[in-house]
Amino acid sequence: MAKTKLLGEFVKGLWKENPTFRIVLGLCPTLAVSTSVNNGIGMGVAATFVLVGSNIFVSLVRNIVPEKVRIPCYIVIIATFVTIADLFMKAYAPLLSRSLGMFVPLIVVNCIVLGRAEAFSSKEPPLRSILDALGMGVGFTWALIVISAIRETLGNGTIMGFYLSRTFEPPLFMILAPGALLTIGVLIAIINYFTHKRQG
Amino acid sequence: MSQLVRFGLVLGVICLAATLVLAVTYEITKPKIEVQLNTEEQSALRSIMPLAESFNEKSLDGIEYFEALKGKDLVGYCIRVVGNGYSGYIRIVAGVDLDGTIEGVAVLEHSETPGLGAKINEVKPGESEPWFLKQFKGKNVRTIAVKKNIDAITGATISSRAVTDAIRKTTDDLFSKLKK
Repeated sequence: MAKTKLLGEFVKGLWKENPTFRIVLGLCPTLAVSTSVNNGIGMGVAATFVLVGSNIFVSLVRNIVPEKVRIPCYIVIIATFVTIADLFMKAYAPLLSRSLGMFVPLIVVNCIVLGRAEAFSSKEPPLRSILDALGMGVGFTWALIVISAIRETLGNGTIMGFYLSRTFEPPLFMILAPGALLTIGVLIAIINYFTHKRQG
Repeated sequence: MSQLVRFGLVLGVICLAATLVLAVTYEITKPKIEVQLNTEEQSALRSIMPLAESFNEKSLDGIEYFEALKGKDLVGYCIRVVGNGYSGYIRIVAGVDLDGTIEGVAVLEHSETPGLGAKINEVKPGESEPWFLKQFKGKNVRTIAVKKNIDAITGATISSRAVTDAIRKTTDDLFSKLKK
């Protein structure tokens, strides 16, 4: 396998292999939590923590774990980090924890996390796995911020909880699931348009 | 056979390590989480029963409530109410004075849909308390019902009903038990 530069493992998650806009993984949490920018940031940070933690440990045990039981092993590792994130959020950021609700425990089944374990850190050394996880995490976070900024502004008339205008009656559907699908669809279309244009 | 043992061993060791890590994390965060929940409830109690000075936690036949005291006089009750919302439980505390007039209502925890049911706790700009919960103030707790004297939230009748009915039922229950 041709080794890319270390920094490349980080950078690829930001744009070229962005989990939300390019690989289109983890849409369920994206739909659910991108209703406000605060939620988006919180979810992004929690998912990044889980990604980094599980990628390190999956990478460390990659030579010990037999192939046939690898998925249960990965899930146990991921679930451990999700629970840690959940407990710490409850203890130190109760407001955020309440507004994210069920979706923090559900990071366990976020396909970005298991996807990176299976596709990357189970084959690569820890340092590369950390960089990969950070890249994917940051990529997921900025995607969530963009989507939730659009949805919060249009659907709720607020940005990060502050009201933009008191007379604006926002269209409710933007904050419900259809609004998320529309926003993600339009954003992916725009990104694809520019990518194709650049490639000629 | 030896392969099977190896599978079990690897998985077992990983699970054991995970359990240890989680047990430690749980012990570290547990007191902190309890403090958070407690301060939240205390500040909610004060906001729904402003005239009370202290609260005395009690329980009667499974209903958990607080006696609201001013000095040594009983001025009302704050009752822990759990409503069955659209997507999970809604934890509420309701403050009621001795003749059943609602002093205030606060939602502690819910998982209702953002933009719809979550409006049970929405504060409009320029106001200091949630507009839906404000409706309960000053009404007799036995009479409250959605569409009758409580306006439901648009698109969230289930959440509105859950809050209203749970408060009425639990409080009614408590009052009839207290009389016995």
